[in-house]
Amino acid sequence: MRKALVVFGLIALNAWAQRLIVAQGTDPITLDAPLAQDSPSATVVTHISETLFELTPEGRIVPHLAEGYNFADGGKTLTIRLRRGIVFHDGTPFNAEAVKFNLERFVSRELASPFAFLLSELDRVEVVDPYTVRLRLKNPFAPILAHLTHSSTAIQSPTAIQRLGAQYRDNPVGTGPYRFQAWQKGQYVDLVRNENYWGEKPPIPQVRFIPVPEGTTRVALVETGQAHVAVRIPPQDIPRLQTNPAVEVVRTPSLRTIYIYFNTQRAPFNDVRVRQALNHAVNKEEILQFVLGGIGRISDAPIAPGIFGYAPVGRYEYNPQRAQELLRQAGVSTPLRITLHCPTGRYFQDIQVCEAIQGQLRRVGVEATIQTLEWGAYLQETQRPLRENRIQMAMLGWGTVTGDADYGLYPLFHSSQWAPGFNRAFYKNAEVDKLLAQARISTLPQGRQQLYREAMNRIWRDAPWLFLHSEVQVTAIRKEVQGFIVHPTERYLAYKARFR
Amino acid sequence: MLSYTLRRLLVAIPTLFGVVLLVFLMVRLAPGDPAVLLAGEFATPETLEAIRTRYGLDRPLVEQFALYLGALLRGDLGESARSRRPVLEELKTYFPNTVELASAAILVALLTGIPLGILAALRPGSGLDLLVMVLALLGVSMPVFWFGLLAILIFSVELGWFPVAGKGTLAHLVLPAVTLGVNATALLARMTRGTLLEVLSQDYIRTARAKGLAERVVIFKHALRNALIPVVTVAGLEFGSLLAGAVITETIFAWPGLGQLLVGSILARDYPVVQGAVLLVAVTFILVNLLVDLAYAWIDPRVRYD
Repeated sequence: MRKALVVFGLIALNAWAQRLIVAQGTDPITLDAPLAQDSPSATVVTHISETLFELTPEGRIVPHLAEGYNFADGGKTLTIRLRRGIVFHDGTPFNAEAVKFNLERFVSRELASPFAFLLSELDRVEVVDPYTVRLRLKNPFAPILAHLTHSSTAIQSPTAIQRLGAQYRDNPVGTGPYRFQAWQKGQYVDLVRNENYWGEKPPIPQVRFIPVPEGTTRVALVETGQAHVAVRIPPQDIPRLQTNPAVEVVRTPSLRTIYIYFNTQRAPFNDVRVRQALNHAVNKEEILQFVLGGIGRISDAPIAPGIFGYAPVGRYEYNPQRAQELLRQAGVSTPLRITLHCPTGRYFQDIQVCEAIQGQLRRVGVEATIQTLEWGAYLQETQRPLRENRIQMAMLGWGTVTGDADYGLYPLFHSSQWAPGFNRAFYKNAEVDKLLAQARISTLPQGRQQLYREAMNRIWRDAPWLFLHSEVQVTAIRKEVQGFIVHPTERYLAYKARFR
Repeated sequence: MLSYTLRRLLVAIPTLFGVVLLVFLMVRLAPGDPAVLLAGEFATPETLEAIRTRYGLDRPLVEQFALYLGALLRGDLGESARSRRPVLEELKTYFPNTVELASAAILVALLTGIPLGILAALRPGSGLDLLVMVLALLGVSMPVFWFGLLAILIFSVELGWFPVAGKGTLAHLVLPAVTLGVNATALLARMTRGTLLEVLSQDYIRTARAKGLAERVVIFKHALRNALIPVVTVAGLEFGSLLAGAVITETIFAWPGLGQLLVGSILARDYPVVQGAVLLVAVTFILVNLLVDLAYAWIDPRVRYD
């Protein structure tokens, strides 16, 4: 019996030895790139449909379907030269017309893509010749290249979109290293290698994505070899996995930053010394160690590494004496009673982090009451305009989805973006405003980096946030698989992977 | 019988209307702007506006309800705001899987719960009886979540007997069906034991034994037939709640059922899908109830519906 099982098992093993199985948290929602919001959808889309530019896992922006580009007209015109000889999986040629079709569809109100904002500066698209396309912008906008790396801007086959209409989302056609094969809803998405791929062909001929909501179940799948990769491993399962010689536990930074913002327009947090005091009063090492189980990276800037423009700008050392001194200088009489808003279950260990902070603040005479709300209600509370806004401090997270500092800083710290925009701290600093605006126009990468460093230095000193940490993705990968990429944008890429 | 069935179906209409209204109000009166959740955290005001128009969220509540009801009468459940697929298509994809899982679970419960209950009732106070009752207590009080994960760790990871999760072969069905059925099994075992003991103490059983019938005939022909009537009711209702309540089991075993669809839709405030799924569950519940009542008449000739 046992022998028969082993033999059967070996046959089964051989049958899918050619197929890589990746266990994600959920099924994709849609495979139409501009509508794919969640990581599982974006992950599958990325294998099928490609973008004009690519954000490397190291945070560099490089041409992909584009071959080269240049800015003109003071940064208001972007001309992109396209790679030649590429065809979509259905045989449609990839060219300037296809790009124009896709970009116009992307910003159309009819489609209502949640990512339409990425190209909100786009005025019109012109076809210069079959392999050159020109983007006319409303204003000079340097982050446009970064925005064109976002998986939602992937270029898809115009003929397939027109032919299939609403059915396209279930039958995507791109230029990517894998082509779509089948999607059994709730069970698996199957991809096969694109044998005509223009770039380096993927070593593994077939990839299957399976949705497995429960983290421990994902781990069990990898332990038993029924899946090769499991994403988002729950911390309690890490020690057990690490003793398993067949599995490697990989930690990769994510572009998502977790922070607690202050309402900088109202007492007591309109005094920078109070905000700095709280930054000194919180022991981030302790939180990382004991609340996050080591899964995270203490922030040293408002954005995370892996983002274009990131540079470390500081640390608020844990120093309760300094915190008390600053509070005294600010004329705050202790105990200071405040309310801390916190989501539950939205971010990794969110409420537990808040509770730890509550305990630590008590040591410097700050009595925080934690208030939680369901996520929908929470968002609504935090985005009220200043006049109606009652929040003093609240935890939020920000994923810089474009991988460009502009998107990680401008919406959050520019004074034109006050809530209901994303600047929920109601932060205002004329210098920062100027720097962020300049970095948008400047088309020289080095210049932009310099401007962002300057802006982040000031933001760091002004402390509109209680800076916490950025997230780390924990992935379990079986050792027989090499070269599997966990991207900081929370996508998982199989096309460089190979079986040992 | 036919007129009874028709009457019951007619009565179901106001019930369903109530369900539709209640779900409609509940999802809308919950705090938070659904457009924000649908459009994602990063959407601009223009995108939000476009989404509101697309799903009619900018219209007065009464108008939204009238539109929804009108479409519903035409058999149109709307379009999922997340996937933009017709809700009916989504339900058709996921519901059969839930029915499959719930059927397997209730089968497990019937095939193990009832025999265990009978065994216990035939030897009241014995060691076997005690064992069955302890197991039943455990089965009722054990959290499904914990039981499911334990089952995976023992039977898949350690012993390698069954696949960990997903749907495919019959082997994939075993662990989730047992996990989902464990509460119902325990409940049925207790019910069967209790009612059978009660019936066995009745006068007509004493009569049957007195006239020298074989014990087997007494138990199976006289006692069990009566004892099982309430058990059928409970089994029917349990089946209904298994259909509605497979959420946790489906999550643990990555089973592609309605529970998975529903959880994701609630979190994203995908109104059309939430409404459609709850409506489907309500209809199923009403139908199952009706079938249980009809099954009564079949089992117990004294019951007549006219």
